[in-house]
Amino acid sequence: MMDNAIEVKGLRKNYKGFSLRNVSFVLPQGTIMGLVGPNGAGKTTIIKLILNLVRKSGGEIRVFGLDHLHNEAEIKSRIGFVHESPAYIEDATLNDLKAAIAPFYGKWNESLFRSLLAEFELPADKKFKKLSHGMKMKFQIALALSHDADLLIMDEPTSGLDPVFRRELLERLSALMQDERKSVLFSTHITSDLERTADYITFVHEGEIVLSKSRDEIKETWAVVKGPVEQLTGERRILLKGIRTTAFGFEGLTGDIPAARRAFGSAAVIDRASIEDIMIFMDRGNNHA
Amino acid sequence: MRNLILLDLILHRKFLLPFGGIYAVWVGFYASRVESPRLSVFVSTFLCCIIPLMIFTREDKFKAAAVSCSLPVTRKQVVLSRYVLGWAMMLVVYAVIVLIAAAFPGGKLKTGDILSLNSIFLALAFLTIFFSILMPLLVRYGMVGMFAFLIGLQVLGAVVLFLSARKILPFSVKGIIVSIGRALASLNAHLGAPGYYLFLVAVLLALSAASFALSLFLFKRKDL
Repeated sequence: MMDNAIEVKGLRKNYKGFSLRNVSFVLPQGTIMGLVGPNGAGKTTIIKLILNLVRKSGGEIRVFGLDHLHNEAEIKSRIGFVHESPAYIEDATLNDLKAAIAPFYGKWNESLFRSLLAEFELPADKKFKKLSHGMKMKFQIALALSHDADLLIMDEPTSGLDPVFRRELLERLSALMQDERKSVLFSTHITSDLERTADYITFVHEGEIVLSKSRDEIKETWAVVKGPVEQLTGERRILLKGIRTTAFGFEGLTGDIPAARRAFGSAAVIDRASIEDIMIFMDRGNNHA
Repeated sequence: MRNLILLDLILHRKFLLPFGGIYAVWVGFYASRVESPRLSVFVSTFLCCIIPLMIFTREDKFKAAAVSCSLPVTRKQVVLSRYVLGWAMMLVVYAVIVLIAAAFPGGKLKTGDILSLNSIFLALAFLTIFFSILMPLLVRYGMVGMFAFLIGLQVLGAVVLFLSARKILPFSVKGIIVSIGRALASLNAHLGAPGYYLFLVAVLLALSAASFALSLFLFKRKDL
């Protein structure tokens, strides 16, 4: 039986003006999950809740099968974390930061860290505040990868990175999966990152999980239906989410491809949906429901 | 906890060494110019207590608490390490201040005045009171909250003194301070010196424990 790296059940967090409601998903060990959703959907809050950086209002979080509060230090020793907005003591050098952080990890690999710094072209004696956002992200990634973490949790790790390094990072994450104990949870706006690497995709919208499934299952289930507006009858509308109509026709997302084929026949074109299509149509569907 | 203390020392040493050094010399010099040993202890312990708090406000300034708390530690360990480091720093800085105050040429205090058992206990009491009050405030409201409290306290003090001088207040501030002094003297007479000092240590430990419990309660509920 496959163990789970993360299990989240009925998670809630209430803020003024925003609530995370009944969030549940599972990240199986040895897989990569992409957490996707528009700005303010709750992706960062979910990640912070897992790490106990914000206090949950309710629900259960288990990491490596352990309660995330009762076994907090043990769990975190096996996690490599990349923050969305890296906030270290700004006037410390990278060497200082490494010297302060490395002793917390029993499996710290100094030679790997040094080689990552060299590979990412990060000068160890430079102050953190002198780095660009992309370089700060690279430094965090180097720290996260240098202690043989079983779980990488990354909040928008590709933001501010150039396309070449972004591709390298994603390939590195995929390569990590050769070790079946390793798992990755990362949030992103860049849906092409998910197409390339994620085994599972969890879509968050306005504090709720809209879907959480394997990438293949999502691709097999969802399609974009396009056709002339006059074909969009009442009973056909029910099959579609996020319908958009223009002078040239309509388009909408369906989660039941066989039913859509039966309903529309040759009156509409049905194409497999990309992750971006699903995100955009679901966002539109929820906003205009 | 050791790693957390090391983390703070490594990341703040460039601030601490020059700032803390100059500050300790200045406070030591200032303490040597004051004629009243009690006033000297009061002022130097208060200024001494600011040093560790400044270190912790730097984390607040850089919003680096989320990074500390994503390391393999619990929030309890984070707060405990702050109390241990805070006390260690206060004791070291206070020792430096006392040595400088005693050694500074032309000082108005005798060495015996500031190194007597009474002065040492008075210093410990002030350090405990200042640190125990300011730490929970710092944990909950950060740097702004702590300074707002200190400024508010000064304003309140000025208002109370003004009202007291005009005899508008129904009580005398000086009378309260004298009463506390008398109560402590009476306790000292009843318990004898060893019992009295043990009692004081127990009270200071209880105050520190209460402050730690409050800080932990607040920090566990803080969203980073």
